[in-house]
Amino acid sequence: MNSARDGVAPAPLLQVRDLRVKVAGQEVLRGVSLSVGAGEVHAIMGPNGSGKSTLAHVLAGRPGYEIVSGSASFEGHDLFALAPEQRARAGLFLGFQYPVEIPGVNNAYLLKAAVNAARRERGLAELDAFEFLALVRTKIKLMQIDESFLSRGVNEGFSGGEKKRNEILQMLVLEPKLALLDETDSGLDIDALKVVANGVNTLRAAERAIVLVTHYQRMLDYVVPDFVHVLARGRIARSGDRTLALELEKRGYDWISEQVAA
Amino acid sequence: MATPTATLRSATLDRILHDYAAVAARLPDAAVPRAQRANALAALSKLGWPRASDEQWRYTNLRAFEAVATFGPAAFEAAATAPAPADAGAIELPPPLPGFERLVYLDGMRHSASAPAGHGSGSAATAIAGEDWPPEQRLGLLCDMFASDSAVLRIRGSAAIELLFLTSAAAAGAGCYPRLQLALDADSELKLVERHLGAPAAPTLVCANLRVDVGRNARLTHYRLQQCGEQVVFADTLAAQLAEQASYSVRQVAIGAGSARTSAQVRLAGRGAALSWQAIAVGRGQQVHDTALKVEHLAADTRTEEVFRGIADERARVAFSGHIHIGASAPGSDARQSLRGLIEGAGAEIDLRPRLEISTDEVKAQHGATTGALDENLMFYLLARGIDRNTARALLKWAFLGDVLRAIDLPQVRRAAEHGAAGQLPDVMAIGALT
Repeated sequence: MNSARDGVAPAPLLQVRDLRVKVAGQEVLRGVSLSVGAGEVHAIMGPNGSGKSTLAHVLAGRPGYEIVSGSASFEGHDLFALAPEQRARAGLFLGFQYPVEIPGVNNAYLLKAAVNAARRERGLAELDAFEFLALVRTKIKLMQIDESFLSRGVNEGFSGGEKKRNEILQMLVLEPKLALLDETDSGLDIDALKVVANGVNTLRAAERAIVLVTHYQRMLDYVVPDFVHVLARGRIARSGDRTLALELEKRGYDWISEQVAA
Repeated sequence: MATPTATLRSATLDRILHDYAAVAARLPDAAVPRAQRANALAALSKLGWPRASDEQWRYTNLRAFEAVATFGPAAFEAAATAPAPADAGAIELPPPLPGFERLVYLDGMRHSASAPAGHGSGSAATAIAGEDWPPEQRLGLLCDMFASDSAVLRIRGSAAIELLFLTSAAAAGAGCYPRLQLALDADSELKLVERHLGAPAAPTLVCANLRVDVGRNARLTHYRLQQCGEQVVFADTLAAQLAEQASYSVRQVAIGAGSARTSAQVRLAGRGAALSWQAIAVGRGQQVHDTALKVEHLAADTRTEEVFRGIADERARVAFSGHIHIGASAPGSDARQSLRGLIEGAGAEIDLRPRLEISTDEVKAQHGATTGALDENLMFYLLARGIDRNTARALLKWAFLGDVLRAIDLPQVRRAAEHGAAGQLPDVMAIGALT
């Protein structure tokens, strides 16, 4: 579906083919195909209930979804054959729309355990406490988070904006190959949005890809996507460049939903 | 000696009466006056031994009491005439708490020579004030009958005391009866650490009584750690009364003993009195932890905060009954109750029984009780960060206890509680979540 801008088609990092997924017996994804190459930023937009979050969560391995048919591969490996934690260690990151609070597990412990799990997977030596702290300090500063938060419970008592910043901080520390960010922009004021967007942009690199799941295009003012897809009624109804997002901003989603229904 | 009626007789009660008759003449009046022992005997005989069919005792492992060879106090069983103090050196004592005076009781008898200065006598005969133990607290009668010593503390001003109740190897097969009568004068403040330790090699009864009287505007923080060995059958009975504007904070950690039962009753008798009861119980193997807490709001503007977190692993059973009664004389009361249980083992059982009984208007009351497995949303979040499933489970179990453990504001006590709790959860210990 998509190709790299220089015309040379690298092997896609993520390849989803004709994916059909049911939730509680209801078909939510009805044949989604998507190809995401290294270095690319994709935005998946769509009205509420179109299946955007379902797609992100299915790819990350959340239980409770029935994969009816289709496939998804990550760096050529069958994604659905991997447990959620294996997918994460392989380099897939899901940024949650509603990050959970886990009082009693502090942020530093979680981050260090996550980093070292990924490093073990890659055959790298685990970071010790000093190395970890050095790594995380630079990222914390970037996300404008107070260092004291490291000793607090995961997202415990955080505001909505702080939780989202924390998600991006985790992403920056883990340096995934593919980040799926599920409505990371929702509930953010403009200042927080800029901080989050700056964090996301920091991760942009030739060897990585980012998929932004979003309802509104305002995030795309700061994280400019290479490709925009519109998901409606469980299918990708239209794909284009960032001008598609601007068109959606003007016209809304109804016209696309009507086309899919027709 | 009073004779129980035929319908209330049981083999256990018969044994108790028999064992009492064997030692009664030698039990010291200095610990419990003879008349009080006789009253306790009569009351227990009248009430009978608890039965599993009684709702208040349904989750207590009553059979465990049958395994104790004798109910007679260990020191009196070991010596035919005079009690012989056992050796405390065989039990590894926890490091002293800075700023705390330490009192050590071994097999129910005072061991350390020093008394906490200025807090009344450390061990003396005083008729314990208050009414008889109610039926759901009848194990308190056992301690009244058999106690061979009694700690009596009266607090004026500010104090910090650590009470260590140790059960030695020599007590194996017998009874130990720790006993505390505590009174806080008006405007006084006490931090009290109460620990139960010791791992005898045979079924041994540790049966403790605590009577607590918190005076007007006094503040008591009571840290309770029960870390007895698996052969211990543990029962503690606590009655507390709070005067006007008094506050009582209990931080209870129940992790030891093969079978444990806490029977507690707190009366908020003075206007503005406040109770904070936060407890955890962690059971594994075939352990049974049962707590029955009754709180009575008897005056206006009284407050209760009750938090319980229980984990039952393997085939353990963990039960908590929280009964809060807000009487007609207690308008403006505020009662909050949060009981949560986590079932970890296929044969494990959690029983939570919240009960709010309100007899007046204008009160704030809320309660919640949930029992189940680990939260799947939390689990997925950790998995999605690459944390392996076993580590994620261990972290979430640890987090589950976190509310209560974090409420222990003495670092040394919190560490002891955390290490004790983690010791019950090998997967938590393995991941090194403790720092």
